[in-house]
Amino acid sequence: MALLFVLTLPLYWAQERTSYFQPSLLRASATIAPTRFYGQNTTVAFINGFVEYILEDKISVRGEGFVMVPNTPMVMTSTPEVFPRNCNSWYAGFGYHIGKKNWKMDLHAEPGILAAELAKNYNQYNVPDSYQWSVNPSYLIKIGTSYYFSKVCHFFAELNYSDAWARKMPYTSLSMKQYGISAGLGFHLVTKKTP
Amino acid sequence: MKGLLFFILLAVSAQVFGQIGGKITPAGMLSLGARSTLSLFNDEKNEMPGTGVGGQFRLRFSDAVNTDWFFDYITSDILNYAFRTDYHIGWSVLFYPINQLDYFRQEGGFKPKFRPYILAGHCFDYSRIESKADATLYGERWSSAVQAGLGSHLELSPRFDISLTGQYMIHLGTHLETEYNFGTGEITFLKEPGGSLAGHLLITLSLNYKIAKLWGRTKK
Repeated sequence: MALLFVLTLPLYWAQERTSYFQPSLLRASATIAPTRFYGQNTTVAFINGFVEYILEDKISVRGEGFVMVPNTPMVMTSTPEVFPRNCNSWYAGFGYHIGKKNWKMDLHAEPGILAAELAKNYNQYNVPDSYQWSVNPSYLIKIGTSYYFSKVCHFFAELNYSDAWARKMPYTSLSMKQYGISAGLGFHLVTKKTP
Repeated sequence: MKGLLFFILLAVSAQVFGQIGGKITPAGMLSLGARSTLSLFNDEKNEMPGTGVGGQFRLRFSDAVNTDWFFDYITSDILNYAFRTDYHIGWSVLFYPINQLDYFRQEGGFKPKFRPYILAGHCFDYSRIESKADATLYGERWSSAVQAGLGSHLELSPRFDISLTGQYMIHLGTHLETEYNFGTGEITFLKEPGGSLAGHLLITLSLNYKIAKLWGRTKK
């Protein structure tokens, strides 16, 4: 048994040396992202999906979206009357990756837009239809880590921070500043053969 | 004989310029990028700092001259009684004043470096100010603007850079402003036709990636 273990060890190490993370790698995933809006003391769940393409050893281009889970119960909220009933955002930008072959630390910077829909009775006032969607500039900063453990799968965990304002409001603009976590199983494939 | 001499001279010149274009100058390099903007010191009374998002492409003409072609969407509050939306579409020329220094020559392996520049340019813009209390009340204007400023790329790889720019943009057209009566809550929009110098300071952070060399291809 010990001999079998010793014989298979080099095979394991050989696998470890294979670098799955490389230029032309395309990766994508979708996950649930618990997110805290600290302007409103409210935590909600988003569906966070992304697509990313590795351009160089350290550089990638990435696009992603956050969609509030429909009819999600708001947890830990103290001000439900001033929170939009819907909030979606879309971003596109670049990533920078450092670390070992298959274990990377990731930093992403992505400008984008955020669309917030007000509840009809916002802050106890009846909100006209013309006010209900407010689309505004936003940006997203992500810090995370990824572990590529097979030809097609990897684990990832990311801390998200984004900032925006919902300005098309009957009264003072609403800060959409938020931070959250995205983590889960991602899928990838190498789109070009290396010579 | 003179014709032959002229032909040889032309061929040699083409070789020399071809080598310069192919191996030394980055002319013809096309980049694509995304950008975020902070708008400060706006000319509108009671206007707060604004935030923006946009995109750009960058086309380089020579070792010392580059160009940005951009679009920005910027929103800002005017206290809590109105908000403003600006759309900018324009271009800037970037000049690298110290590009000839040895610091910028990439010999051996690539090293990240800062590349400062001076920029100036022009844009067309559309501005709209809307009342918060009544969405049917708004003022709008089309105008033209000029901008100038300073910035620097941080080149993190031969093809990728982060650029930070500070520039002042002066709008040259019709002036748009609001008058708000804090007692009655009444808002009025004023448009003053004719030339007016009003502007704002724009701080822009962009991420850019070189995607093609449109001319002067490198010969292997």
